[in-house]
Amino acid sequence: MQRKLTTISFIFSLLLALAVLPAHRVAAQQRVVEGVITESLTGQPIAGVSVRVVGQQFGVSSQEDGRYRIEVKQADARLEFSYVGYGTVQRPATAGRLDVALEAASRDLGEVVVVAYGTSRRENITGSVGTINGKQLENRQISNLSKGLEGQVPGLQAVAASGQPGTDATVRIRGIGSINASSNPLYVVDGNPYAGDINAINPNDIESISVLKDAASSALYGSRGANGVIIVTTKKGRASDRAAINLNVTKGISNRAIQDYKQLSTDDYFQLYWEALRNKNLSNGLAADVAARNASAAVVTDLGINPYGSNFPEPVGLDGRLVSGAKALWDDSWTDVLQRTGQRLQADLSISGGGEKHSYFISGGYLDDQGIAIGSGFKRYNVRANIDTKAREWLNAGFNVAASSTLQQFPQSEDSNTANIINFTRLTPGFYPYYEREADGSYRLDAAGNRIWDFGEYRPSAAIPRSNLAASLPLDKNDIQRENASVRTYLEAVFSDNLKFRSTYSVDYINRNDHFYVNPSVGRGVEYLGSVNKSNVRTVGQTWNNILTYDKQFGLHHLNVLGGQEFYSFQTTNMSGSRQRFVLPGLDEPVAASQLNSFTGLSQDYRLLSFLGRAEYGYDNRYLLSGSIRTDGSSRFAAGTRWGTFWSLGAAWKISNESFLQDQSWLDQLTWRASYGGQGNDNLGVYYAYQGLYSILNSLGEGGTVTNRLATPDLKWETNLNFNTGVDVAILKNRIALSVEYFNRQSKDLLFTMPMALSTGYTGYDANIGTMRNTGIDVDIRTIPVRNENFRWNLDLNFSHFKNRITELPTANNIIRGNKMLRLGGSIYDFYLPTWAGVNPEDGSPLWYKADADGMQTEETTSVYGDAGRFIQGSSLPTLVGGITNNITYKNFDLNALLSFSLGGQILDNDYIQLLSNGNNPGRAWSEEMLNRWTPENRDTDVPRLTTDNLNWTSASTRFLYDGSFARLKNLSVGYTFPEAMMTRIGISRLRVFIQGENLFTLYKHKGMDPEQTLEGATYFRYPAIKTFSGGVQIAL
Amino acid sequence: MNLFAKKYKIYLLSIFVLALSGCKDQLDTMPTDAVTDTEIYKNTSNIQTVINGTWRYLNDTYFTFANPGYSAFMRTSDAMANDVAVTTKYGYRDPYAFTELFDRSTNRVNAFWTLLYKVIDNTNNVIAKTEQAEGTREEKDLLIGQAKTLRAFAYLNFASYYQFSYLKDKNALTVPIYTEPSTTATQGKPKASLEEIYALITSDLTDAITKLEGYNRPSAQKYRVDAHVANGLLARAYLNMGQWELAATAAANAAEGFPLMNAEAYYAGFNDAQNPEWIWGHLQTTDQSTASYTFHYLDVSSSGSFYFSFMADPFFKDHFAPQDVRTALFEWDGLPGREGFLRYKKFKFKQNLIGDIVYMRSSEMWLIQAEGYARAGQQVEAVNALNTLREARNATPYIAQEGDLVEAILLERRKELWGEGFGLSDIIRNQKSVVRKSFLDDEGSPIKVTITTPAGEQKQVNGQGHRVVRFPDGNAFEANSRYYIFAIPLVEQQQNPNL
Repeated sequence: MQRKLTTISFIFSLLLALAVLPAHRVAAQQRVVEGVITESLTGQPIAGVSVRVVGQQFGVSSQEDGRYRIEVKQADARLEFSYVGYGTVQRPATAGRLDVALEAASRDLGEVVVVAYGTSRRENITGSVGTINGKQLENRQISNLSKGLEGQVPGLQAVAASGQPGTDATVRIRGIGSINASSNPLYVVDGNPYAGDINAINPNDIESISVLKDAASSALYGSRGANGVIIVTTKKGRASDRAAINLNVTKGISNRAIQDYKQLSTDDYFQLYWEALRNKNLSNGLAADVAARNASAAVVTDLGINPYGSNFPEPVGLDGRLVSGAKALWDDSWTDVLQRTGQRLQADLSISGGGEKHSYFISGGYLDDQGIAIGSGFKRYNVRANIDTKAREWLNAGFNVAASSTLQQFPQSEDSNTANIINFTRLTPGFYPYYEREADGSYRLDAAGNRIWDFGEYRPSAAIPRSNLAASLPLDKNDIQRENASVRTYLEAVFSDNLKFRSTYSVDYINRNDHFYVNPSVGRGVEYLGSVNKSNVRTVGQTWNNILTYDKQFGLHHLNVLGGQEFYSFQTTNMSGSRQRFVLPGLDEPVAASQLNSFTGLSQDYRLLSFLGRAEYGYDNRYLLSGSIRTDGSSRFAAGTRWGTFWSLGAAWKISNESFLQDQSWLDQLTWRASYGGQGNDNLGVYYAYQGLYSILNSLGEGGTVTNRLATPDLKWETNLNFNTGVDVAILKNRIALSVEYFNRQSKDLLFTMPMALSTGYTGYDANIGTMRNTGIDVDIRTIPVRNENFRWNLDLNFSHFKNRITELPTANNIIRGNKMLRLGGSIYDFYLPTWAGVNPEDGSPLWYKADADGMQTEETTSVYGDAGRFIQGSSLPTLVGGITNNITYKNFDLNALLSFSLGGQILDNDYIQLLSNGNNPGRAWSEEMLNRWTPENRDTDVPRLTTDNLNWTSASTRFLYDGSFARLKNLSVGYTFPEAMMTRIGISRLRVFIQGENLFTLYKHKGMDPEQTLEGATYFRYPAIKTFSGGVQIAL
Repeated sequence: MNLFAKKYKIYLLSIFVLALSGCKDQLDTMPTDAVTDTEIYKNTSNIQTVINGTWRYLNDTYFTFANPGYSAFMRTSDAMANDVAVTTKYGYRDPYAFTELFDRSTNRVNAFWTLLYKVIDNTNNVIAKTEQAEGTREEKDLLIGQAKTLRAFAYLNFASYYQFSYLKDKNALTVPIYTEPSTTATQGKPKASLEEIYALITSDLTDAITKLEGYNRPSAQKYRVDAHVANGLLARAYLNMGQWELAATAAANAAEGFPLMNAEAYYAGFNDAQNPEWIWGHLQTTDQSTASYTFHYLDVSSSGSFYFSFMADPFFKDHFAPQDVRTALFEWDGLPGREGFLRYKKFKFKQNLIGDIVYMRSSEMWLIQAEGYARAGQQVEAVNALNTLREARNATPYIAQEGDLVEAILLERRKELWGEGFGLSDIIRNQKSVVRKSFLDDEGSPIKVTITTPAGEQKQVNGQGHRVVRFPDGNAFEANSRYYIFAIPLVEQQQNPNL
């Protein structure tokens, strides 16, 4: 190890030596270039075009009337004009007037793309980088950045399993990289790895997002780059005479994106429950008439309520039908009181500008997204200031600071916990009223004549007795408050035109304070006089890096070399406590509760020391080569295995720049790229991944410990070997651009839980064994089908397909993990479940197939779930995911639409089975599907007979595996921009009004289940996706 | 660039040098919520934490709300027997219907297995590593004595529920035995026979009794293991093995110093380890209260109880004489939604919705003595022991006309130990059948009972008794049924090829 460090130090010394070399200087000769930038077809001036001297960081941008003015010193300088959605243009910077016309392009080759530790032009990238520009996020009503990524970049899968405002989507880049360690990508914000809360970033502050997908682009992030990297760059000010002021305001409403599962009516429910009781009585050996009589007597007792009133003490007759005249006196849908149309308001203001020596971008934002469940919502206040200055001719400095305060109101909306607000409406049938009722169906009133919330003391346990969230939630608190501060600051010394040294320090700070309070007055808290749970988590991530960059053109040769060092330190420290028994109502802080239940807290430290370098070589703008190397030392591992080295090689051939293709005017680009390299993953989920540990488990006031993990001193990095190759083609004046890439991601030394027999006291131990491969293709097609004076239509399509395969396992046996099985040749998410064999037509019992001695499925069936064989049943991973984007502008109208889709993959619907008990869970709502239960008359069905014993038929099997394919209109917006002439008269430079919808429609198969579920294909009683419909205005002054 | 003076270069260089040298030592970090094994096994006072932590793990680990640690074992045992008519509420309705424990794929089957084997591995570590640690002979004896008792307790549970009676077939293969600490190299072991398991249990307990001889347990720490506890477990083991006299002797040793409680204490809710009769129990505090969740099933009369599903079989009441102290605990439920159920108000939450868990009482030890002597043919001693308990409960003393003495003792066990976890283990041990009868009259109609509503009105309603009176396959209950035996979890079968 020591030697490695020495080697790296030596490389730095060399680079430093370069710094000291006398630089070749050209005498400065100042001149001014000015002109007007217009749209090539319409001749309209374009505002905001970036104009800069090639190779320099600072530039100016065109004003509202398209005019620009820039000072140039170098004699042989060239000017570059770039604007989103248009082809970049370069012109020699000759003194005097220079007018430029820009042409709309489906893909901009000259686009400057943010890459690892720097920027690069799109056409010079050897690796695989997808980009999303700020405009693509501008029209969205997303409260969270991660939810805006879906369908935008091929190879990036963003899955928003929860619709709760303020929750993140899960993001995976090019398949699943790891089995037990994290598969999350690394987020980098403004140049440094981001340890803050991704929710805290206002999507409106984003200039661009780069998604680094392969080794050549992400290996420079070494051990943290294995799962891909998402680089977020925030907006900067542009040089202009007048500061730009932008104001956006959007107001909207939100609802469920899809309807919930359909439930049985009260009449059907009572009749079916009677049938369950009758069947049980029969199997207990009672005669048919006695069985029916006792069932009629027991229905109301078991369900705890009689919605048919006291005139019908036994509403279900001996024939199992409702007695004549019986009519349910009420049917209260709990969604009426627990769900609502949510309100959403977003307002953002930004002021930006600058001169030749400085630029600034200052913004503030407010968001209030209520959500559809009562008591839920997300509020965010955020500010940002990005300031860059040229302090000396040789010294640049910059400072980005962002701060936000968010409040997420998060009543339980996942998990099977009875307090789950989403599940409550699903579990509690409408014959349990939410206001207390008299036996005749009328409302019971209190002394003041008001209705009284019904807490359902009498309800069976399946219908959540002693609870009425509509009454208790408004008095409770479920607040998660986060203050997020994020600072990036850099000093950049320009030794010469060729050599730069940049030192960046960043700190991301999150303070999270949770306040969960259960009121003592009504609901579940009454018995214990309320409770309060408060916790605080402080997270600080600091990065300091020092990077030296050398860039020079020698004739036809271009060389770019980068070297540096980085240190990352992450600390999280938390404490939490809970108390109960409030002395008085109306108080909700711990100080007011008299009984201490718990107090605890802990800290965790993680540190990473790295040395990195990259070299890129280009010849004649035709051949490109790149290589990078990084060595990381991680505190997660033992001293002996702590250091890992990661690398990449890349190459590109710009075929269209070869002389034999120079004359083909229809061809704008033809490039072939390939890269290979290894990245690491140390995110094993634990911070101390090698020691034999006992958890602290104190007991009754005395110190206690209990075995937790076995010592694994040899545990080390996971490595990802990543091969990428692709072709980029652009034709017909960039009207059609196509990128096709193939990738092969081989993860090795995978962190596995090596399974042990449970009887050893452990489920397993951690080991680096096994390999997994993700292979696939990413396709990105961008077209401009129509491009004329008044009408422009951009149609983009991207999709990707990957195949996840396990190529090596630690044991000869397959590894079973819950409902999944890991096996050679299989995917990480292959379901391993009993095969449903239908319902026995003879007696209505559920049937599953049995396995033979080798585990193969036989024709033999069993009605005992535990005796059923388990078999591979396909994967939860989709075969194709992607998105279609339409951007249409016609005169002053614009339309944007994004449809994202996911085809293939299965989902095990555990939410639905709650509604499918066979009668063993009285009081629980029943799905309409139960009408199809087995009876002697209805023998051919796949719903078993009813009885009050648990037939275990809802146990996981292929019966509840559903196709997860869907297509969802993520975004649709229509806007109108008022004519400029009209606006300037009232002092506004731009005014656009628009209407917008998120998740307006969804195409899917299994009704009731939101098809956006986790990658593992499991539902978990989550907050459903929400549909938002808004209107808004954008004003530029 | 001439602007760039040499001194800046020096500054920048020093930044690098600082950065390079400063950070390397920062890569050693330590957890704050866990301790390394090497640290623990240095000395005896550290090792005691493993005993404490293991006890908490056993008792206060949530698998589900219906499996809040070991107490779920005891609840399951009674739910699968004769005298608790479990209601349709969440928790124990599936074991009650015999649809859960023989199914190797269920959560509860997994939870029980995990709980006990985790205890076994932790105690194996203590037993193997204490001798090498720093500490006095007494401290080491105490640690090993406690560890062996807990290990025997875990294996005794396996022996009682995972195979039929020892007296039916002691060679029957049951569960694997581990006596060494597990490492990454440990392979799953094959099933051992009941005989091997009982040999380990009795040797562990005999050794533990010797080692714990000198240990004088503070009376407030009934959760700790001492020689009485070890003797009590040994008595249970011998009873299972048919070693009648040894069982009686061990039981007598266990009960020494634990007088039978009076009526007032009997009505106090079985929630406080300070009860003079309790030999062993788990304490609960407001900050350690997972096990207390079991009272939500057991407690049928407190308003804070959420499931109150352990209702008594109405026919069970007929076994009690009117003057019996315990008779007063019966009451027909008159609350809406639960009318007509028979409460047996033995268990009650303490005020803060917590309650200590009873593991072992001297009543049980008197009953073991009675049964041991009776089966060994020592009639007089047996009757004396039985009547000692009956007198304490103000029940009718046993006389020969009452019938078979052993049957009388077994019935007394059901009456005295109702809800304490002996229902199914007694049925398995004695190779009996579950006996349940629906609460119906001769015509098959529900029997009416009189309840008092909260408003104070008297009302006739259908009495609620047993709902499940046959096995799930529709057959009548029988002795030595496969439905009584707890399954080995599927995951164990999948990961242990030697099983």
